[in-house]
Amino acid sequence: MGRSSNIPAALFLRIVLWLLAFVTITPFLLLLLTSIKSKADVLKGAFALPAYPHFENYLDAWNAGHFNIYFWNSIVVVIPVVAVSVFLGLLTGFAFAYLSFPLRRTLFAILTLGMMVPAEAFIIPLYYEMRYFGLINTYAALIVPQIAMSIPFSTIFLASAMQQLPEEVLEAAVLDGAGRFYILRKIVIPLMIPAMSTLALFLFIWTWNEFLIPFILVNDDAYRTLPLGMLFFQGRYTVNTPVLTAGAVIVIFPLILTYLVFQRRFIAGLTAGATK
Amino acid sequence: MKRSALDGSPQTNFIYLLPGLLLYTAFVFGPIVAALGLSLTSWDGLTMPRWVGLGNYADLFSDSRFYIALRNNAELMIFYCVLPLVLGITLAACVWNLKQREQLALRTFLFLPYIMPTAVLGIIWAWLYNPAFGPFNQFLRAIGLGRFALPWLGDFNFVLPAVGIVATWYFFGFCMVIFLTGIQRIDPSLFDAAKVDGASARKTFFWITLPLLLPEIRVVLLLTVIASIKSFDLIFTMTRGGPANATLVPNIYMYQLGFELNRFGAAAAIAIVGALLTFAINYAIHRLVGSRSKGMA
Repeated sequence: MGRSSNIPAALFLRIVLWLLAFVTITPFLLLLLTSIKSKADVLKGAFALPAYPHFENYLDAWNAGHFNIYFWNSIVVVIPVVAVSVFLGLLTGFAFAYLSFPLRRTLFAILTLGMMVPAEAFIIPLYYEMRYFGLINTYAALIVPQIAMSIPFSTIFLASAMQQLPEEVLEAAVLDGAGRFYILRKIVIPLMIPAMSTLALFLFIWTWNEFLIPFILVNDDAYRTLPLGMLFFQGRYTVNTPVLTAGAVIVIFPLILTYLVFQRRFIAGLTAGATK
Repeated sequence: MKRSALDGSPQTNFIYLLPGLLLYTAFVFGPIVAALGLSLTSWDGLTMPRWVGLGNYADLFSDSRFYIALRNNAELMIFYCVLPLVLGITLAACVWNLKQREQLALRTFLFLPYIMPTAVLGIIWAWLYNPAFGPFNQFLRAIGLGRFALPWLGDFNFVLPAVGIVATWYFFGFCMVIFLTGIQRIDPSLFDAAKVDGASARKTFFWITLPLLLPEIRVVLLLTVIASIKSFDLIFTMTRGGPANATLVPNIYMYQLGFELNRFGAAAAIAIVGALLTFAINYAIHRLVGSRSKGMA
């Protein structure tokens, strides 16, 4: 598609593109608009502006709708999942990038299996395993399986990043008599900061958005994360659309913020991973 | 043979491998193997599982609801895979030679749905589609198309496309982004040469851009096909498989059999069939759509 010399056609194309972009984000704009309406405003039509913004909907969602609890739970789950997954990914990734051990290919195949098989396929045994350990309705039920599910991607992502590090630097360190833990800590990890932060970004979004694990492994409202809270909130508040939409904004606002701040890193990581 | 300067004895090497591998085995690989075993039993979750061999699978393949679920899933693939692929590739071809800033802005908007939790998107769209006060029907009435203001999620004929469109909306910006980087990878002199030869934009697209994007097409197909087979959140929050099984897909059926009817063996069999289907399609795409070098193994 060479640069079009046909000005009206090019202009028309751009108008269509921007229209499409606008339509794509319309659900989010409607969400924002409705979240600051009163119940009476909603009856005037979805596209009508409210007389003045009703921010108290957010307070209602936050307190009466328990979004304070759900938000806190999401934070409590996402931080250890991201931190531990990146840490374990560094260790196993280090092993797959540099070390030899028996059954290497088999272990790699077993790990990639975990990336292909969706959680839906093993959720039933996982549920009974967690029940056996008495972990249903605990933070551990939300955190530990999520870390385990993140290990294959973390390992492969970090191992392939480590393989691109200059071999000479590591060889020089070995010749200087440095131990492996020391080299990992002082040389590999500092060089891996960009890859690690991209990985952390992916893990944050996946964990924040996870639905099945908290849906099956937790049924106590005190442990629900945001997407789950939203589902049960909908059951209770379906008639109160402004508060429901305020709740939805609370769920997606941290995602939009993260996305806007780290957009380039996120997309670069996505396309690097996708074309591998 | 040493793999690198950092290599040591296998015993000490295992220290690096063990923590991650143990956790993975305990909470992912173990349960996968257990699901395989469970699918060969009849189990209500309370009494001892009873061995039934391939009985669950035999039941499944004579179960008309399972076929409905498979057919729905196949139809959903039009919305999960085909439409996002076509839209994404077309948009990428339109957007790629716009100015950098405009391209970035468009990409930001079009990609936005992809970072959202699909469960929450399902709830939002259930509201948008609401027949009485949903914005979608209000919009149709406002532009004089009131007779098309249908109860989208309650209509047996329209519910599948209505749910499917949400999946298309979710994926097409993601596909566009993948194709955009694909196009930027192509040697620009090819496009210049085509221009010098007087090739039309259409010809350039079909004879240069499209064939060179095969690796990206393969990736997009793989990811969207897998996503369609594991679709659960979006459909569960929008319709729970209804009305009258019109949006029933294997994972919803699995949930109903397992967690509503306590037929865990049968549910596990569906999960295993889904996983096998994923492998088969994965393999087919790898074979059919031009294969390139893979990562490390």
